[in-house]
Amino acid sequence: MPAKTVAAKAKLPKGKAKPTPKRTNGKVQAKRGAPADVALADPALFDPLTPGETADALRTLIEDKRMSSMAKVGRYRVICTEPLVVKPPHSLAGHRLARVVAYDYSSDRAVDATIDLDAGIVVHLELSKGQPMLSREEEAIAMSIAVSDDHVRTKLQMGDGPQTVLHYWGRTPSDIAYARRSAAVVFGREAGHATLVAVVDLIDQQVTQVVPAEMW
Amino acid sequence: MTASNVITQSNWKFHWRLTESAGIMVYLADFKGRRVLWEGSLPYVTVDHQRQTLDVDADAPEVHGPWWLPLGTRTLQGPVRVQTFRGGVELSAAFAAGPYQYTQLWRFHDDGRMCPWLTIYGPGVHDGHTYHPHFRFDFDLDGADNDAFEFFEDGRWQRVSQEGWFPYSGEADTEGNVWRQIDFGSRASINLRPHSWDDAEVFAVRYHDGEWAPFSPRSAAGSQPFPAAYVGQEELEGEDLSLWYVAHVHFDQSFPYTAGPWVRVDGFR
Repeated sequence: MPAKTVAAKAKLPKGKAKPTPKRTNGKVQAKRGAPADVALADPALFDPLTPGETADALRTLIEDKRMSSMAKVGRYRVICTEPLVVKPPHSLAGHRLARVVAYDYSSDRAVDATIDLDAGIVVHLELSKGQPMLSREEEAIAMSIAVSDDHVRTKLQMGDGPQTVLHYWGRTPSDIAYARRSAAVVFGREAGHATLVAVVDLIDQQVTQVVPAEMW
Repeated sequence: MTASNVITQSNWKFHWRLTESAGIMVYLADFKGRRVLWEGSLPYVTVDHQRQTLDVDADAPEVHGPWWLPLGTRTLQGPVRVQTFRGGVELSAAFAAGPYQYTQLWRFHDDGRMCPWLTIYGPGVHDGHTYHPHFRFDFDLDGADNDAFEFFEDGRWQRVSQEGWFPYSGEADTEGNVWRQIDFGSRASINLRPHSWDDAEVFAVRYHDGEWAPFSPRSAAGSQPFPAAYVGQEELEGEDLSLWYVAHVHFDQSFPYTAGPWVRVDGFR
């Protein structure tokens, strides 16, 4: 397995990462209090959210006044809702928390929120230009757009169909997917090799690139 | 399927659950009754492509960026399996989407070894691509704080004072370990030994509540991806740490390939 070029290697000097302003990336600002004892953590806090807890978290977020513009326009996708557990001595340690990640198409921004389900409040909210993974709905939309695109259809071979949808981003600013939320739909025969890749701009909902798989 | 379970076997007690995007997460893991791990997961596997051409532009920068799909509930194939083996117990789960196929493994040995691994197979879109599995570990060795991070370099273990990126250069201690996290109180340590073909690197950052999970390797356009975006200038010594082990696996029609480190707990007397 000979080594090939690994772009990732060039990104940081050895042992001294390039100083980058740290975004909070959803982390809850610490409020220190009692001494830490992680050994006493309640495993139940890690349990998957129930359907009711998920609904509760989303309702709480959408009703938060800071999210009123997003809720009013209603052009957003919930990417993920999962339990979040913080360690003692954080003041929220021991609370049942939900982390909600959404993408707001009306403002082209990511929403990363932590909901305290015990208190019914949003305890952390970050709005950023980050790109969370695709929601299941976005995957379905991307596939639908690609399948119905005339240019894609002319390139497909007999028996080809969509195999999978991936979250894609361009490497350089000349690629439209560099700054715009995009998906790559991979086509091929069932259980066969990939034959075609279609890049879908999810904001304008159109195919922006059609590339034979061997040329990707 | 989403499930939560606790397993007590082979000197280990740990919990696991299937996540939406980070594969099987193991949390609150104890070895011989002492806390080792708060949380460990596989937040993402990105895939880069090297187009297969022989033209004069073959050395030009890659045109296409990376892509990824979550390993989790939407890509799980069949159930998460719990099986015993001689001297331990393991979790395994298969994930697939189109031409990409993975088996995630968590193996726990009764001598204190732990193997968070990922087997990669499937054809991908063509023969020239590189997989980048990103493992994240939040070790809480005998408590969360009072830890230090060390990197084996220039023939000895070197204490690291500040957050950073530490690639495997081929140098390791006599047991093959390249990185370790030490607890000052107990002098116990967690040792990471890379697969020699992983082309691995470790990002060592200060722990922050909620920093898991970014739900994407991508921060804003033009910014560093995660976990590099987490790296700042915070001090590590005496603090609570998070370690990211990133492998770079080159596909050359030689799959399956199993990436990931050997992790060993030492110093528990």
